[in-house]
Amino acid sequence: MPIFQKAGEADVTRAILAGFTHDFEEYADTEVVIIGGGPSGLMAARDLARKNVKVVIMERNNYLGGGFWIGGFLMNTITVRAPAQKVLDEIGCPYKEFSKNLYVTPGPHACSKLIAAACDAGAKIQNMTSFEDVVIREKNRVSGVVINWTPVHTLPREITCVDPIALECKVVIDATGHQAEVMQALKKRGLAKIVGEGGMWVEKSEDAVVEHTGIAYPGVIVAGMAVSSTYGLPRMGPTFGAMLLSGKRAAEAALKEMGK
Amino acid sequence: MWNFPDRLFLYKDEATPSLDADKTATYLQEILGIPTETRQDFLREYGRKDLRRIAERIAESRVKNVDRPFESGQAAYGEIEFELRFLENPTKKVPGVLYDGLRIERLLLEMLPRRMRAAKIQHFVFTSRLIGTFEADGRYHAHVILCGYPSIISTSGLVEAPAKPKEYYVLKQRFIQAGDDVPFEMLKERFAGQFIDYDDPRITEVLKGYALQCVVHSIAGEPFCQNRRCRLFDAHWQSELIEAQLHGDRFCKRHREMLTAIRRAAES
Repeated sequence: MPIFQKAGEADVTRAILAGFTHDFEEYADTEVVIIGGGPSGLMAARDLARKNVKVVIMERNNYLGGGFWIGGFLMNTITVRAPAQKVLDEIGCPYKEFSKNLYVTPGPHACSKLIAAACDAGAKIQNMTSFEDVVIREKNRVSGVVINWTPVHTLPREITCVDPIALECKVVIDATGHQAEVMQALKKRGLAKIVGEGGMWVEKSEDAVVEHTGIAYPGVIVAGMAVSSTYGLPRMGPTFGAMLLSGKRAAEAALKEMGK
Repeated sequence: MWNFPDRLFLYKDEATPSLDADKTATYLQEILGIPTETRQDFLREYGRKDLRRIAERIAESRVKNVDRPFESGQAAYGEIEFELRFLENPTKKVPGVLYDGLRIERLLLEMLPRRMRAAKIQHFVFTSRLIGTFEADGRYHAHVILCGYPSIISTSGLVEAPAKPKEYYVLKQRFIQAGDDVPFEMLKERFAGQFIDYDDPRITEVLKGYALQCVVHSIAGEPFCQNRRCRLFDAHWQSELIEAQLHGDRFCKRHREMLTAIRRAAES
């Protein structure tokens, strides 16, 4: 007696296609597209989806979470400083107080809880998908993104002819980490500035990242380490509180931008 | 030749609740005999009309590289939006940005209504923004005060400008050399009490002395004293600052006599 019921190969293929097509049709014209599925992108997606915003994350890798799986020096303990432990409470992730105002939790637990929180809230995920460019509309406002499958980028240009596709949206959140890919795309077009480093003082880096999170260009919000690159803020320690709170700020800014 | 103002205005820093500007005003009035009033946050007092333009000017005053003279240029869209958020909510502290003090001072002067611009009226603006000036040694230096018209007194400068204990920087440098990233604020815990920190309950008492330095500069043109036990001492270290400002109302003989002369002149 087999454990599983019978399903033909063709049925499996049809199921994959139907599920993917259904979701992808929704992405084609959505409210918020988040580029990057690290902690700030996931946090923003979770908060937006909880407010019934149609939101999709584009992640270039097949896995989500970015650097949130591990802490500093490849050790998988995550640290957050108060008040970011409240976010761990929100997503149901247990933690311990290491010292006054400093909390620790296993990276895999925190990361998987955050991914689940974003998915449970209703955020859609499109992984193995790379950001290529922005869609510009009236008054040079960003109103969408151009994407392609990640594997296309691993092939030599001479033998690939896979054209990208575009998605329309009201707001794009650049949560691509140090690369700040969306802002870089705007810079290449001569539309936005990436601020050079040097003017900030390192002691306030986490606060600075959270406070700089917001609209960086009409239609574009920067979150997480992309904030740091956009504004030339100093690197900060292996503590993820700023990433989580930056994601929350990005969601608030997106809601405000959409008048919600 | 002294330049006597007949009124002093202190503008509150709403982002620093531990600073009691009213107490500071009372102190100045008692010690100098010059009528002193407090007003709300300067940018709120005079900046209601065109917040976006003011945000743009402040954003353009950001120092992008502390090792180069100020490079003027258009501010990025996001930098203006950032400043706008803080102008709309002045109770929030601006973190992690150094501003060119001279450009901020010029902006404040331009914002002052003409009727308020007079040698007989002196303005002292408390702010949480960190200000600096490019100095002869080829880099920017943060300041607690920038004497001018108006004078600026930075509550962030009070924490960041005078140096903390040497060991603090040795430890910080070790982390940087190790290639490690640390939340530097946590280093402070080891040195708690040895420097003035944000929202420190001692801020009002310390800033009384710095406000006095600004006023004395506007009257006599000489802000600083070389005597470490005088409140008009120009402290380069936090330990010196604590020594000069938190041991009662101490002045050197020359400045005690100067302050008495100012008070007599103001009351006559």
